Amino acid sequence: MTRTKVNLAYIANDSERKSTFKRRKKGLMKKAEELSILCAVDTCAIIFSPYDPEPDVWPSPLEVQRVIAKLRNMSPLEQNRRMMDQKDFIRQQLTRLSEQMAKQQREIRHKEMTNVMFECLKGKGFEYLNMSDLNDLNNLLSQNIRAIERRIKLLEKRHNGGD
Amino acid sequence: MARKNKGRQRIEMTRMSKESNLLVTFSKRRSGLFKKASELCTLCGAEIAIVVFSPGKKAFSFGHPSVGAIVDRFLSRTPPPPRGGSRASNRRDQPLPLPPPPPNPNSAVQLLEAHRNAAVRELSNQLTEAMNQLEAEKKRGEGINKMRRESKERCWWDGPIDGLGLGQLEQLKVAMEDLKRNVGKQAERVRVVEEEGLKVPTASFYAGGTSSFVGSGSGAGGVGVDGGGDVKVSDGLGLSMTPHGYALGYGCGFF
Repeated sequence: MTRTKVNLAYIANDSERKSTFKRRKKGLMKKAEELSILCAVDTCAIIFSPYDPEPDVWPSPLEVQRVIAKLRNMSPLEQNRRMMDQKDFIRQQLTRLSEQMAKQQREIRHKEMTNVMFECLKGKGFEYLNMSDLNDLNNLLSQNIRAIERRIKLLEKRHNGGD
Repeated sequence: MARKNKGRQRIEMTRMSKESNLLVTFSKRRSGLFKKASELCTLCGAEIAIVVFSPGKKAFSFGHPSVGAIVDRFLSRTPPPPRGGSRASNRRDQPLPLPPPPPNPNSAVQLLEAHRNAAVRELSNQLTEAMNQLEAEKKRGEGINKMRRESKERCWWDGPIDGLGLGQLEQLKVAMEDLKRNVGKQAERVRVVEEEGLKVPTASFYAGGTSSFVGSGSGAGGVGVDGGGDVKVSDGLGLSMTPHGYALGYGCGFF
């Protein structure tokens, strides 16, 4: 999706940094607006930069104050419960990623084991499998056998039900 | 709209009709918004706060250096607007033209910020690393799919069982039960041999790391061999660790 891979570090070059800031700030405001419209939720953004003493805000100073007031009307516990700084947010992303990773590896394991199963059905030996593999293979076979039994029952029901 | 979803599609800028989609969209876009904000902070040294209320009325906020700091800074410069009328009230009309706050000369605060920034950099690196690994795993998955598709030795039983007739199903079932029995016997053999401390086939046919992630089986530390002939060595813990598994520790301890 990204055309040029960006290195996530402070941009040393002044003019590059400034133009990046302008571009990304605009994009950020746009995304904030889209979220607000698509999901019909209260949103606000405040951006301070070294280029301007005045902050850039969305949607408007008045609206920002309203949303902030809404936030501050909540109990401190509720306010802080989903409040994040950069560290918190990145940690959240890492957690999500590790969950995705685990899922992906489970899927791969399942695919590999399925291959092994079919190889064995064709007659390939399995002396080379370790305990862990044998366990997984056993479970996979159970799973498949149950699925086949269900399917057989269904077909028999249809047949007997008189189509 | 195209029949087959060609990746991203244009979406109409109006409240989403399906509630379930709305919730999913909120979750994703909120995360994406915070991500963009975080990047802007890192790349350009901006200081940002974002507040978003969820459809469930919960308040999500992101701030750098903190939500509170930015919000207070904002409020201290924009006094409440005058109520009604366009009558100029010199104190209340204009936002205070304060200069940006000078860099804090307090060295303790600077040190704290330096620490924070370093921690963020470290986490960012971990994140990039984790993303690359996930990418690699996904490619692996694709590779396996491709291999199966292109394999010429596919038999009638390979594939969804819905396409099989009653007779074939019965046949397949018997074959599987048979195999299962044999697998059980082999497992028993392996177990006995392990207990007696003899040399046991510990090589996993497949990249050993994945076995440990499923959390199944003990397996003495062994050498994982994948189809390509690469060898992945286990560590002394008895878990076969691939580089993938290793980096997933994030310094917070392994499985």
